[in-house]
Amino acid sequence: MTKNYIKMNNKIKFQYFPYHLVDPSPWPILLSFSLLTFTTGAVLYMHGFNNGGLVLTLGFLLTSSGMALWFRDVISEATLLGCHTREVKNGLMLGVFLFIVSEVFAFLSVFWAFFHSSLSPAIEIGGSWPPLGITPLDPFAIPLLNTILLLSSGAFITYGHHALIAGNRKAAIDGTLLTIIFAILFTGLQYYEYSEAGFTMADGVYGSAFYASTGLHGLHVIVGTIFILVGFVRIVNYHLTKSHHQGFEAAIAYWHFVDVVWLFLFLAVYFWGGA
Amino acid sequence: MLQFLSLFNTIFNDAPQPWQLGFQDSAAPGFTGIVTLHNTIGFYLIVICFSVFWALFSIIYYYNTNKNPIAHKYLTHGTVVELVWTITPALILIAIAFPSFRLLYLMDEVISPTLTIKAVGHQWYWSYELSDGCYRFDSYMLPESDLELGQFRLLDVDNKLIVPVDCHIRLIVTGADVIHSYAVPSLGLKLDAVPGRLNQVSFLVERTGTFYGQCSEICGVWHGFMPIAIEAVSTPQFLIMGR
Amino acid sequence: MSESAETTSKYVLQTVGFDARFPNTNQTRNCFQNYTDYFKCITAKGEDFAPCKQFKKAYNSLCPNEWISKWDDQRENGTFPASLEP
Repeated sequence: MTKNYIKMNNKIKFQYFPYHLVDPSPWPILLSFSLLTFTTGAVLYMHGFNNGGLVLTLGFLLTSSGMALWFRDVISEATLLGCHTREVKNGLMLGVFLFIVSEVFAFLSVFWAFFHSSLSPAIEIGGSWPPLGITPLDPFAIPLLNTILLLSSGAFITYGHHALIAGNRKAAIDGTLLTIIFAILFTGLQYYEYSEAGFTMADGVYGSAFYASTGLHGLHVIVGTIFILVGFVRIVNYHLTKSHHQGFEAAIAYWHFVDVVWLFLFLAVYFWGGA
Repeated sequence: MLQFLSLFNTIFNDAPQPWQLGFQDSAAPGFTGIVTLHNTIGFYLIVICFSVFWALFSIIYYYNTNKNPIAHKYLTHGTVVELVWTITPALILIAIAFPSFRLLYLMDEVISPTLTIKAVGHQWYWSYELSDGCYRFDSYMLPESDLELGQFRLLDVDNKLIVPVDCHIRLIVTGADVIHSYAVPSLGLKLDAVPGRLNQVSFLVERTGTFYGQCSEICGVWHGFMPIAIEAVSTPQFLIMGR
Repeated sequence: MSESAETTSKYVLQTVGFDARFPNTNQTRNCFQNYTDYFKCITAKGEDFAPCKQFKKAYNSLCPNEWISKWDDQRENGTFPASLEP
């Protein structure tokens, strides 16, 4: 009887260990099916099947709402139930860094493809990089501005982070908000440049390598912006404290990673690869 | 009389034989080098196999539970023996690496070729281009029904590639559709035929004869039916045949 | 194409030599370089300029005929991937 009581109320009463044993949750299995719908929809859409776009949209909505609901549960566990002890936070941060390492390797493969094609250009593209007929973008126009935008957003988020640790609510909100504004500016400028560019993804290996690398990065910028936006909303709603803001720190680590990838992209793809 | 004399000649093995385990007879310096390297490495192989199995079986024989009931529980390190079994394999690997790299780079060498032959792999035949002399021809396998006495089933072709002996020949290999591989064992040739890429190898035929090989990269249903036949003739004869 | 020059050179065992720029097994670029060099050469010096012929000999020896005719078509259509300006 006593044992059962402890088991039923272990979160409120007492547990002998610092770890978080998660409760049964519908989200993992539901999200698996949502992702299956999403990827199947993507294949159907890209291969021009009837209603492929519908399945893709449905998959996207299911996946994003599933994620939102799952993360809502995580937030309630962390902020309201106090499941995120110091040990749990360590584990989460380790997970975040391992995730970022896997992202590094994802970008490594894209960079590998770029350097494979550009360092020793094939005779099919005339043995030159950029290939004949491709007018690359000027690295010192929008890309340089984007570099400045991303670097300053990195500075602003550091400002916001330090303000949060110092307990300065207003500065934390300001810093994070400025980060988000700069991130959205970056995405907007990338969109503008894509629409103005004189080559498409179908224009041979130059276009493929360019849009695959910068596009994957752009996707990460959008995800990072949403990640920081969540942190921002949670600061505004008093979720985050000066000592307990793991999600925000994960967003910061992710944002710096995206920032570093951009620096390499700017140097390699825009500056060196476009010369 | 002349027939009788041929009994004293060496008969060379330039095509695979049923149940053959060894190499075909070499007709090119490259292949002689490969066989020599094989023998060199085979020496180390035998020495290593003997010592390892000797050690293994003597341990099983002398130190089994019947003969040796008390185990040496604390015998877990042996600096000298560990150094020996680490450094010795390293030295053996170095000893193997030197001749193999030497052969590898010798076989890559193309110094002053007298003839360039382009071999293009198709599904499923080889075509040859000798553009120094403006020749181009296809080489198909002879079907079984067309074989004459003495011709090899699945190996003989309608148009053999004719090359001169004792000449450095540059071979350029590429594929027209999928990856093939140009291989002639007795000349030491094996080179992938990759579409969009030109692979080069140099060879020199040391004696006259007909040398057989096969496509060596799975290339489709008739992969096994696109053999290679190279006939080496003396240089003057080659020039006459060139007409 | 001068027919007499072809027939006399036909039976001489001679081919393009080793090129130290392309020391590897992969000779794709050797063929391509000689092809583009020939057309750059005749654009600069004219078709009768004898030294240009060396490039033509080289690419004829090294390139598969199929590649040469493909590139010739591309040059005619203006879709050749490399610049042929000297």
